[in-house]
Amino acid sequence: MAIWMTGVIICGFLIPIPEIPILKESARNLFLHVPMWFTMAVCFATGLVYSIKYLNNPKLENDRKAETATQIGLLFGICGLITGSIWARFTWGTWWTFAEPRMNLSALGMMIYVSYFVLRTAFDNPEKRAKIAAVFNVFAATTIPFLLYIIPRQLPSLHPGADGNPAFSEITAPELRYIFYPAVVGFIALAVWLNDILNRYKIVKHKIEQQGT
Amino acid sequence: MKFSLIQVQEDTVAAVDTLTKTYSKKWEASAGLEHASPMVKAAASHDLIFIVLGVSLVIWFVLLFFIVRVDKKIGKLEQEIEHPKQN
Repeated sequence: MAIWMTGVIICGFLIPIPEIPILKESARNLFLHVPMWFTMAVCFATGLVYSIKYLNNPKLENDRKAETATQIGLLFGICGLITGSIWARFTWGTWWTFAEPRMNLSALGMMIYVSYFVLRTAFDNPEKRAKIAAVFNVFAATTIPFLLYIIPRQLPSLHPGADGNPAFSEITAPELRYIFYPAVVGFIALAVWLNDILNRYKIVKHKIEQQGT
Repeated sequence: MKFSLIQVQEDTVAAVDTLTKTYSKKWEASAGLEHASPMVKAAASHDLIFIVLGVSLVIWFVLLFFIVRVDKKIGKLEQEIEHPKQN
């Protein structure tokens, strides 16, 4: 995984890319900014699956997995927001614009997920916390496709993929794809790994707490 | 920047032209750059390659932040194993 991602980053900087006015070399951000959102979507989907699992089968293990996946997803979502903002400054000419529905709706989506963690801290009882958090997560995960994929596509926007256009399919040069798809795979693998680390930490912590009491 | 060793494909501008056509008018890009601060100007030099660097650094620092946090948490657990709390 490490070698894979190293290769992706090196190639991402070195391969010749077609010249696109305004974007220029920053078109290489496609390999970094876009996989962030893909990875986030995968993480949140995983969180949703485990939240539904918890509601069917209230084991704390399922709640733990849902929380971890959502944490990692939020991490990548915040990366996506910041990188998007930097990219916007030098292509659209502004750090943040309220004329851009995708930007603002994705920020709203992140806030919904931040409130998931705020909600979790409000309960001391683990069962109660897990149940409310699972219900909230189902709601949060349902809003994401609308906020990120459906509504921005219907509105005029600066971001590619508006006015009923796909964000990606026809307007992306084939050379960019040779790096883009491996980058997506690499970042998702990275997310899976981080997920695993955090989960193992929580399991150990749970065991120590049980021994202590 | 050109890397002659791996400069294989040259004639591929057509594929990306739809993007230019759709968005060139809307994007202000470097229009107001003359009035921008020196730092922004420096960042926009060399065909915006530093923006890519900035974006990769952002991702790196966010991930680093996460790793450091998990590291600290694990350190706490280790301490608890070695000096269990007296209840």
